[in-house]
Amino acid sequence: MSTAHLVSSLEGEDRTQPGYTGEEHHELSFIRKYVFSTDHKVIGKQFLFLSLFFLVVGGALAGMMRWQLGFPGQPMPGGGIFPDTMAPGGIILPEFYNSLVTMHGTIMVFFAIMPLLVGVFGNLLIPLQIGAPDMAFPRLNMASFWLAVPAGIVMLAGFLVEGGAAGAGWTSYAPLSTSSEWTGVYLGQQLWVASLIIMGFSSLTGAVNYITTVINMRAPGMTWFRIPLPTWSLFITAILILLAIPILTGGLIMLLFDQTIGTTFFIPAGSGEPLLWQHIFWFFGHPEVYILILPAMGIVSEVLACRARKPIFGYHAMVLAMISIAFLGWIVWGHHMFQSGMNPMLGTTFMISTVVIAVPSAIKTFNWLGTLWRGDIHFDTPMLHALSFVSMFIIGGLSGIFMASAPVDMYIHDTYFIVAHLHYVLFGGSLFGIFAGITFWFPKMFGRMMGEGLGKIHFGLTFIFYNMVFFPMHNLGVQGMMRRIYDPNEYEFLQPLQEMNTFISISVFLLVATQFLFAFNFFWSMFKGRQAPANPWNSNTLEWTVPSPPPHGNFAVMPTVYRGPYEYSSPEVEADFYPQNQPPPQADA
Amino acid sequence: MNQSATAVMDHRHPMPGMQVYNLKLGMWIFLLSEVMFFTSLIGSYIILRFAHPDHWTQPGVVLNVPLTAVNTFLLICSSVTMVKAFACIEQGDQKGLKLWLLGTIMIGATFVGIQAYEYVHLIHEGFVPNFAAYTAEGGNLYGATFYLMTGFHGAHVTIGVLCLIFVLFRAMKGAYTSESYGGVEIIGLYWHFVDLVWIILFTIVYLL
Amino acid sequence: MEAKEHPNQPYILIWVILLVLTLGELGYAFMDLPKIVLAIGLIIMAIWKALLVAIYYMHLRHEPRRMWVLAASPLPLAVILVMAVLTEF
Repeated sequence: MSTAHLVSSLEGEDRTQPGYTGEEHHELSFIRKYVFSTDHKVIGKQFLFLSLFFLVVGGALAGMMRWQLGFPGQPMPGGGIFPDTMAPGGIILPEFYNSLVTMHGTIMVFFAIMPLLVGVFGNLLIPLQIGAPDMAFPRLNMASFWLAVPAGIVMLAGFLVEGGAAGAGWTSYAPLSTSSEWTGVYLGQQLWVASLIIMGFSSLTGAVNYITTVINMRAPGMTWFRIPLPTWSLFITAILILLAIPILTGGLIMLLFDQTIGTTFFIPAGSGEPLLWQHIFWFFGHPEVYILILPAMGIVSEVLACRARKPIFGYHAMVLAMISIAFLGWIVWGHHMFQSGMNPMLGTTFMISTVVIAVPSAIKTFNWLGTLWRGDIHFDTPMLHALSFVSMFIIGGLSGIFMASAPVDMYIHDTYFIVAHLHYVLFGGSLFGIFAGITFWFPKMFGRMMGEGLGKIHFGLTFIFYNMVFFPMHNLGVQGMMRRIYDPNEYEFLQPLQEMNTFISISVFLLVATQFLFAFNFFWSMFKGRQAPANPWNSNTLEWTVPSPPPHGNFAVMPTVYRGPYEYSSPEVEADFYPQNQPPPQADA
Repeated sequence: MNQSATAVMDHRHPMPGMQVYNLKLGMWIFLLSEVMFFTSLIGSYIILRFAHPDHWTQPGVVLNVPLTAVNTFLLICSSVTMVKAFACIEQGDQKGLKLWLLGTIMIGATFVGIQAYEYVHLIHEGFVPNFAAYTAEGGNLYGATFYLMTGFHGAHVTIGVLCLIFVLFRAMKGAYTSESYGGVEIIGLYWHFVDLVWIILFTIVYLL
Repeated sequence: MEAKEHPNQPYILIWVILLVLTLGELGYAFMDLPKIVLAIGLIIMAIWKALLVAIYYMHLRHEPRRMWVLAASPLPLAVILVMAVLTEF
């Protein structure tokens, strides 16, 4: 029984009637339609607003950190609002600085980038791109969002409790994180752990949903190698989430027990093993960083192919490269622990496996370049962001190879060189990929186009300020500036770096200011933007064959897929794009 | 449940992808994440025991092996009653389904009860998870890892019993037929998984 | 579903085998053999019982082979984590 027949027997009514425009027959109340909705597109938008809020919070924390590093010990403008436990007279205290570092990292990783990539694009794109009416388990999908909200609240509650928010780094190494002896943080650290456990459930329910949907609910003709690359990347990411998050949850539970009921899993005094926490955290940690980058790679591949009007270069190679990155991601975690007193033989093994990952990454990079080669490149905003993703990700990837070799990592471990690397892949990579994705699928989400001119200005300024902020960090790192350091001037050899730090801080303030352009463009276009047709970018994938925004239930008629997603400038048709569900010419005649 | 497309999608007929209908595939995928969760707990136990073997004693010295052997026997029986319940609903025998489900619930609850009794007894002996109050033989890691693994397994059994009660409740209202028994099958899969984890836990915690 | 075509599932037989194996484990655990031999024997029996439950009770027997791959996929990761970290101590 083909899926088409199944779907059209949906509620007894035959959905193939022309003029069928979604399921209006049972009008949902506002609450059911927008707040407790089970429609994957609405859930995608809910994740979008939640994670953009946390992106702003994370950015604000970064701004405060940079104030302290750029102008050490001087009162922060507007810092008076903070209580004396955090910033007496606006001067940030060291303990509060630790909380800023920890919460900036945690909020950006778990509450901004992950939901933006997996929550937003997973929910919005997967059903639409594979031709499914909705996710496999819509209510579970709703639960996934409504678990992320309390997790965010519990995380932010850390700032309000006595002792302040968590202060042991986003990696929360034991025994620093298991007692308040060094960080002065007691309840805040436990709230941090509890929040990540809840967020873990949110990610897990999402992952189960995505995997089942992609495996079982593809439209007829949508074979595995006709799935567009964003959905492929989100499918592989969902598998990484499914297998990595439970490991973190187990570790977090042990950490919580160490903090509360006095067990000593990770506390050396009670013959516990701190290295055990590091291994568990990073066994989750490295698949996590691939969770943060793979969806952006998928999004950028789609935007590059579409805006260069050329098929993606080596589609099968791209898919297999993503699969091999996912596999290799599991056997490299030790490169985060070269300095941890880990067994040197293990260190060498991890060095080799880490360098091997450069191969699939290079394949993807050259395929992106191959896609652009002799392409008819339209330099609109999504394409600009996608192009900057490619170039920034190359810098980030190459600087990663520095630290992959243990001897080099001996010098640059936990310095600002690492901070530069991770921001080049996370901000330069994932965030530019997210900007590309938001501007590209904005018409599909809201039915209106984002402003092109404003988009280009925002891109240009962001690109410049972004590089002004993070490129000098390579120099700081090589000159020995430690990571998470409150005031570098305490050390003689770091004092000459103060001007560079001040330069970076000023660039950060300009960068943060530029983001208001994006915010304005985003909210203004939502209501006042140019009305968007169904297929504004002349793309091939199925989401562009339904009206923007698509009705509940997505496809009036279950689409049949005839070809891959990247048949741009195909000789078979005169138009320079060839949608997946358009029957082949001879079928028309 | 609103009549969205998924009402059809978890229809019993296998789908093109994995030839397994959504609900069952979803449960199998969820069980993979549970395997990884218990991997992190059991893995930590193995690593800590390897690092500090002196914390552990010979089998049967601190822990009551005969009692837990009976408990293992009970959980295996509950797997049989569960699979019998599933066999009944496949043939459309709703009465058989309700009886066997009730049997599974009773045995499952007994298992949790026996484990609770065992916990109380062990705590009286000073076998506790925290470092300060540990006075039994061996070291505190023995207690910490024991309660971590068996505690979370017990929690999973308890959740399983509650879900079984919910499935029984729906079975009472005739929700399951020989055409649509997705709910029974997935609670069966979950229950067998929990039994499988206990089989491994019983060996490595009590007998090693 | 496909289970309908095999109504007479060997449930009771598997149950008996599981009980026998459990009693076997109990007896085996208290023999005075070197620790390593005991450990390997017990682990083999445990895995054997676990496979019986998975294949017969969880109906993996009737599922397409792809489900076997899916069911076994997290195991290599578990082995990698434990083996790599064990080299530390």
